[in-house]
Amino acid sequence: MDLEREGGRGANQLRPIDCTRNVLSRAHGSASCSHGETRVLAAVYGPKAGTKKNENPEKACIEVIWKPKTGQIGKSEKEFEMILKRTLQNICLLTVHPNTTTSIIVQVVHDDGSLLPCAIHAACAALVDAGIPLKYLAVAICCCLTESGQIILDPSKLEEQRMKGFVCIAFPSSIQSVISQGSADVGGESVGNGVITSLTHGVMPVDDYFQCVEQGRAAIIPLSNILKKRLQSQPASKQSKAG
Amino acid sequence: MESKPSVSPSSFVDQQVFPGDVVLDLSKMTNQTIKLGGGLRQDGDVISVMKAGKLRFSKPNKYWVESSHKRYVPSAGDNVLGIVVDAKADNFLVDIKGPMLAFLPVLAFEGGTRRNIPKFEIGTLLYVRVVKANTGMNPELSCMDASGKAAEYGPLKDGFMFESSTGLSRTLLSTPTCPVLETLGKKLAFEIAVGLNGRVWVNATSPSVIVLVANTIMQTESLSPAQQKIKVENLLQRLQ
Repeated sequence: MDLEREGGRGANQLRPIDCTRNVLSRAHGSASCSHGETRVLAAVYGPKAGTKKNENPEKACIEVIWKPKTGQIGKSEKEFEMILKRTLQNICLLTVHPNTTTSIIVQVVHDDGSLLPCAIHAACAALVDAGIPLKYLAVAICCCLTESGQIILDPSKLEEQRMKGFVCIAFPSSIQSVISQGSADVGGESVGNGVITSLTHGVMPVDDYFQCVEQGRAAIIPLSNILKKRLQSQPASKQSKAG
Repeated sequence: MESKPSVSPSSFVDQQVFPGDVVLDLSKMTNQTIKLGGGLRQDGDVISVMKAGKLRFSKPNKYWVESSHKRYVPSAGDNVLGIVVDAKADNFLVDIKGPMLAFLPVLAFEGGTRRNIPKFEIGTLLYVRVVKANTGMNPELSCMDASGKAAEYGPLKDGFMFESSTGLSRTLLSTPTCPVLETLGKKLAFEIAVGLNGRVWVNATSPSVIVLVANTIMQTESLSPAQQKIKVENLLQRLQ
């Protein structure tokens, strides 16, 4: 039984994604990313000298501050900060600037489902804008499981609340390579193996979980291409309004 | 998924690359020495990209990624504009918009001895040369050129300093002269110091000239050379 989604979207169809770089004039790197109605703004400051007390001084330290749209900072914000920090620590090259701290501030502008993938894309784009050395970019996607056992991608807030369970997965993005890597290649692009982050809500059987991962992985290449195209076609910084 | 015959592009030179892209395969290039500039790193047998930007190649063997950011990555031999943050017994701590504060030894001035140590206040703007920039260490600066002469290095008095991106600094310092500076120089008399770390200092006899030069440079950053000339001429007419 096929589920009817708002706006006539297919089960595997994603909402329109938009990403803009260099939106804040004072931050060292900034980006705003939107998945349909969900919008997140990310700013990067750094690298700055010195690490926190309990952090390894031989590596760069990444600090994430998550700011919700409304309300006080509580446990769920701390959880998002921890997830984002672990994801970004995976993609950043921490040994290039040892004994420094890079701060990433994520501000939720509007939450309409699929918030964590949107935040990961915004944070990645802001890191690229700031020139922080990265191993690869991260693309993330949210898959949820309906009552009838069907898997749909990129749910909106209403859909998320009605689902049995949903999972948010972050993968390394597809890369261009001069070496062909065998059958994983499609026209010069290759998809890395592995999952960076996986976060589940609700209950789902193990087989359905792996099915979600496979469906998400199938969406990496088109998603990476969209993000790269948006990141690339940015002109230099906005001109000053004075004069 | 149907398999198309995969054709990998032979080279990414002069194209936009993103972090993670593999640009060189070293196993096919034995017995060659390659020099890697900013934005590239060696990952086993391949060279992969760390920063997004345009991949550039210069004969015979230099590869680097060109990108423009608000922060600066110190490298030896660069001329930068620094701001004094603190003065210690042996060196001044200078901020050069990099990941760490830089050290300027107190004796790194022409004819510098323990008796005539310059007194720089906090906030002094200096034009300095980066001597050493190693990973994990604070960069070292000097107010002398390689042969020990003062050569324009030192504190910059009066004038106005503004910050922009490293890409703009490289454009202003390129040869042949950047169209903006050439057009401005034909009509106005001013003094300019450009640091590769994104700081630019302008000085002229009248404040209106300083403001015009600074605003022109900031506003024409993203325009093409032809558009820059037109815009500069428009702004110059306003002054008359």
